[in-house]
Amino acid sequence: MNAPANAPILRIEGLTKHFGGLTAVDDVTLEFAPGRLHAIIGPNGAGKTTLFNLISGFLPSDSGRVFFAGREITGLKPHRISRLGIARTLQVKSVFHQLSVADNLWITAQAQRGVLNPFRSTTSYRETCEKVERVLEQLGLAALANQQAGTLSHGDIALLEIGMAISAEPKLLLLDEPICGMSPAETARTVAKIRELAQTIEIVLIEHDMEVVFEIADDITVMAQGAILASGSPQAIAADERVREAYLGRAEDEDYIEEPVRA
Amino acid sequence: MKRAAIERTMLIASAAFLLTVPWLVPAIADRFWVSVIAEILIWSLLAASVNLLFGYVGLLSFGQALFFGFGMYGVAIGVEKLALGFWPALGLGIAAPVAMAIVAGIFAVRLTWHYFAIITVVFSLIFYFLALTMKPLTGGDDGISFTLPAVFKFGGAEWGFASATFQYFFILATVALCLYALRRLLGSPLGKAFMAIRDNDVRASLIGLNVYWLRLTAFVIAGFLAGLSGALFAFFGRYASASYMFYHVSGEAVVWAIVGGAGTLFGPLVGTGLFILIREVVSTHWQHHALIVGAVAILIVIFAPRGMVGLWRDFMGRWSGGEK
Ligand SMILES: Nc1ncnc2c1ncn2[C@@H]1O[C@H](COP(=O)(O)OP(=O)(O)OP(=O)(O)O)[C@@H](O)[C@H]1O
Ligand SMILES: [Mg+2]
Repeated sequence: MNAPANAPILRIEGLTKHFGGLTAVDDVTLEFAPGRLHAIIGPNGAGKTTLFNLISGFLPSDSGRVFFAGREITGLKPHRISRLGIARTLQVKSVFHQLSVADNLWITAQAQRGVLNPFRSTTSYRETCEKVERVLEQLGLAALANQQAGTLSHGDIALLEIGMAISAEPKLLLLDEPICGMSPAETARTVAKIRELAQTIEIVLIEHDMEVVFEIADDITVMAQGAILASGSPQAIAADERVREAYLGRAEDEDYIEEPVRA
Repeated sequence: MKRAAIERTMLIASAAFLLTVPWLVPAIADRFWVSVIAEILIWSLLAASVNLLFGYVGLLSFGQALFFGFGMYGVAIGVEKLALGFWPALGLGIAAPVAMAIVAGIFAVRLTWHYFAIITVVFSLIFYFLALTMKPLTGGDDGISFTLPAVFKFGGAEWGFASATFQYFFILATVALCLYALRRLLGSPLGKAFMAIRDNDVRASLIGLNVYWLRLTAFVIAGFLAGLSGALFAFFGRYASASYMFYHVSGEAVVWAIVGGAGTLFGPLVGTGLFILIREVVSTHWQHHALIVGAVAILIVIFAPRGMVGLWRDFMGRWSGGEK
């Protein structure tokens, strides 16, 4: 089956997840068109991360279905979904802390191939090693290549997470608050990087920094209490009364929107 | 001298020592110490199996003695009940623990942390009591003694464990081969995948690693190491007994691996050597040698959480760092 060119890269139908009495994701139906940078925003506890957890197979959903590039991925194990081409970063930054920065990238790139030969040295994989070098250069982490990932600064770990996502060469990249904890300089570098990546990879971004979201997103989806509140272009979202009231707060003028206070 | 040069010199010196033990040791001390060193080498494989799981995959097993016991019984039953020669008996002493590791692993590696530790203990206890009850097969409390088969026969000549020197070199070669294979493994994609799981199993599954299969693979390799250790020990002692399957033995191997340095290649060998030497030196003078073992273990865990090899690395790091 060949999906038409403008078929959604990711389609979610009636996805629901309860934690005890709490409905973290409430009957969410969404489509992400290809070739556009999508952002998901919403107050703390809105269910954004849980939605990513359901898409990436990290949590089982209570009901609903997920389709990736026309193929149903509901209920698949995380490593299977990863190998189909969905990479993600975690909100709580997580890397392989005892491995070197280069090894973090190396194993991420190699894991996609499935075969893990116990009889060959990692250094003999030319293609994978070259990819690691490239990603290190791209992210400006080359100087830290041999450092243990656990000893990096918060900003560098966040960069490494993005580097790992790139090394996997995914078709779809889910970024959960990628610039959280970064310095302004690192933020600028990372935002530029995300923009560049969006040329070749489909990206869905969860972000609290409204300046960044409205600067780079083509489409914005607003979540609140597990449900979709609104979905549309940045202009439409900025003008949406319900969004303003429920989440964005008072706008001082037409195109300035205050950053929400984080819990 | 540079750090790498010092470490290489130490490695060469250790290798030279180990290669000359059967002649050097009787010249300076009692011949008895040759077999102590052989014993250290054998047990270091059991510690290495704990280390592969704990130091490189993040799974703490208190049940590796189960596979050690299966290795022992594989050899003893092979020789005594099935009248096998050396190599087929050794084969059985490896196949039995590997098969057991596959079965136990299928259940155990679904769990992590204390649940994993507990299920490994439960498995080894079940088979410990089974071995005690199945007297006709296992000899129960008394175990099985057997007569040594020859390792090689060539014309009229025979080589076997009856010769202490042959025995020593057979053990040394086997252990060296295992350490070399482990070193290769740790530098391979599979080794990196193991370490990724050790560091962060959630992340590992998100980058596309099949955590369950990889843990099972590691568990079976560890079962192989522990089983080989037991098989060698059976030939070394010419007997097998259920007492070696008790979790007390597993616990000792955990202490050896952690004190020597979990997550390092030579840590288990160093830890095993230290504790067996303490046992041999002290137990002849003082029956409470376990107290010293406990004290050393606690001190090292508190003051050198990365074990003796880690302590050495820190020392070398500081020393060569200060030299720049
Ligand atoms: N594994 C879990 N078990 C129980 N409750 C959970 C779990 N994960 C999330 N929750 C709850 O579900 C709700 C949604 O959480 P989620 O992390 O998806 O929000 P979010 O939109 O990502 O918020 P934030 O902006 O703070 O990251 C919260 O109330 C949270 O406490
Ligand atoms: Mg979140």
